[in-house]
Amino acid sequence: MVSGGNASDERSGSRVKALVVRVAYAIPLFANFALACAAVLFYSESPSRFDPARAWEGPSSSHWLGTSEAGVDLLAILSHGELSATILAVCVSLGAFAIGVPLGAAAAYRGGAYERFVSRGCDVIQAIPSFLFAVTVLAAVRVRAPWLLGVVFLVTAWAPFARLALAQTRVLRNIAFVDAARSLGATRARILAKHIAPHLLPIAAVQLGSSAAAIVVSESALAFLGFGPRSGVSMGAALDQGVAAMLRAPHVLIFSAVAVAVTSMTLLFGARAFAPEKDDGR
Amino acid sequence: MHRTIRGIIDALITYWLFASLIFFAIRLVPGDPVLLILGDGARLEDIEAMRRQLHFDEPLSEQYVRFLRGLVTFNFGDSLRVAGVTAFHRVGASLGSTIRLSGMAVAIGSIGGILCALAMVGSRLSRWARAVERVLIAVTSVPLLAFGPVASYVLAAQFRLVPLPGDPDAPFGGLLFASVLLAIPLGAHAARIAYASLREVSDAPFLRVVRAKGGGSWRVWAVHALPASIGPILAVTGAQLGALLAGAIVLERLFEREGLGTLILGAYAARDIPVLQAAVIVGGGLFIGVQSLVVAIHPMIDPRARA
Repeated sequence: MVSGGNASDERSGSRVKALVVRVAYAIPLFANFALACAAVLFYSESPSRFDPARAWEGPSSSHWLGTSEAGVDLLAILSHGELSATILAVCVSLGAFAIGVPLGAAAAYRGGAYERFVSRGCDVIQAIPSFLFAVTVLAAVRVRAPWLLGVVFLVTAWAPFARLALAQTRVLRNIAFVDAARSLGATRARILAKHIAPHLLPIAAVQLGSSAAAIVVSESALAFLGFGPRSGVSMGAALDQGVAAMLRAPHVLIFSAVAVAVTSMTLLFGARAFAPEKDDGR
Repeated sequence: MHRTIRGIIDALITYWLFASLIFFAIRLVPGDPVLLILGDGARLEDIEAMRRQLHFDEPLSEQYVRFLRGLVTFNFGDSLRVAGVTAFHRVGASLGSTIRLSGMAVAIGSIGGILCALAMVGSRLSRWARAVERVLIAVTSVPLLAFGPVASYVLAAQFRLVPLPGDPDAPFGGLLFASVLLAIPLGAHAARIAYASLREVSDAPFLRVVRAKGGGSWRVWAVHALPASIGPILAVTGAQLGALLAGAIVLERLFEREGLGTLILGAYAARDIPVLQAAVIVGGGLFIGVQSLVVAIHPMIDPRARA
């Protein structure tokens, strides 16, 4: 519905607007991450310092978000927990991205039995309840190393990426510019890397965000159930304490819940900064 | 028919793969499960006896064959902590509660979501559809893990509108509250997808025919448009089941309800490996089965998907 006026002006105007929207999506992610880093680096309290005399205290000038069980500073727990959860989530999502996207793109580009095999493989893997799998692994080990949790999540996390790349490449492989590259004698690897990958990355970036957000929530949920790190430094562990002391010290519950929500939501929306331009069809 | 058979084969492959993952996870991760069960100070002959009871003294291949046999015959041996009771029996006893909770959540969530979407396309609410859509996006992105505890704190502890978590005097109120909490993200997802797919068919000729014949808003949308757009709704419900299962476990812990989640946590705390293994595999099998069922139902509702 172009209503007259200078069309190119309008286009550049909407492009600026789109850029502003993109930046606006990314700001909370970086702000939140920077705050957590700042708290870890500069805040004087440590998440491993006990002070039983001051357990369950509300926010004060010495403990900005108050204290939790055994008088451990809540801000210290939440910032360290948030940082480790974010690092785990980003590493796993990038790993899933690095496995899933090439696999899906190559499968769809080759087509035939190979494509059918990967496509059904994705169906099967996506139907696996990863949360129960993680619970079992964490219950069976003596030392809960973070990399182990990462590997567990990675077992299922690559499938959505592969499926996205598969669907997208299925469309792209028949488009004229890919055909042109093929008739100029480009190799399969070159076509995938130079001509198909640039069209896959924006869509995969959005999936990167939702996958990272889901991993943050899963990590917290596992810690909430008691499968967190032994040190107890996790947003989920703090949330668990908050639920137990709901009536006595509601601040622990509220702040931990907010930390989980903000961390996962900023990851989810932050990735939209890289989303492909919306085609409203209007 | 061909499609049904393929669906069943896929479900069986997934079940086998999941069960095998669990089998190898318990046996191959670093650390000896028998030492976890008995503790570090256990005597050597106790360790040997436990190893024999769990068949951990056999080679891995023999254990795997035994495990596969158990998978088919539902027999993973007895619970280590409750004498004389099989692991599967304990799982069966706690399964009903979890099925009630998640079944009620699916019912509330999908019916609520579809009604919301119908209202967004076919009633006076359609003027605010964009705003409603934004609210739905916000609701779907807040994790249940964060708003579940906060909602129960505000509603139960502050305003006393709902029973407190674990209140034994109000079993049904507790169940209803827990399932509504669990249904909220599911319902918002369903509403978003249902709205999008209803809009997709909104200009379809078959709807114009209904309108031309004088069909009212309800007739157009609920009777004719909804079956044609049920595919994506079913797909999103199926995809949300995993979150629902994890959510049910978290809510069982939050509300101190009996169920599969509490059984898994209890079995972990008591180091009851047969029960843990059986509970996880039954829970996962149920989840895989329901998900395949959702896929199978689609062509029954939308004739176009039968091709």
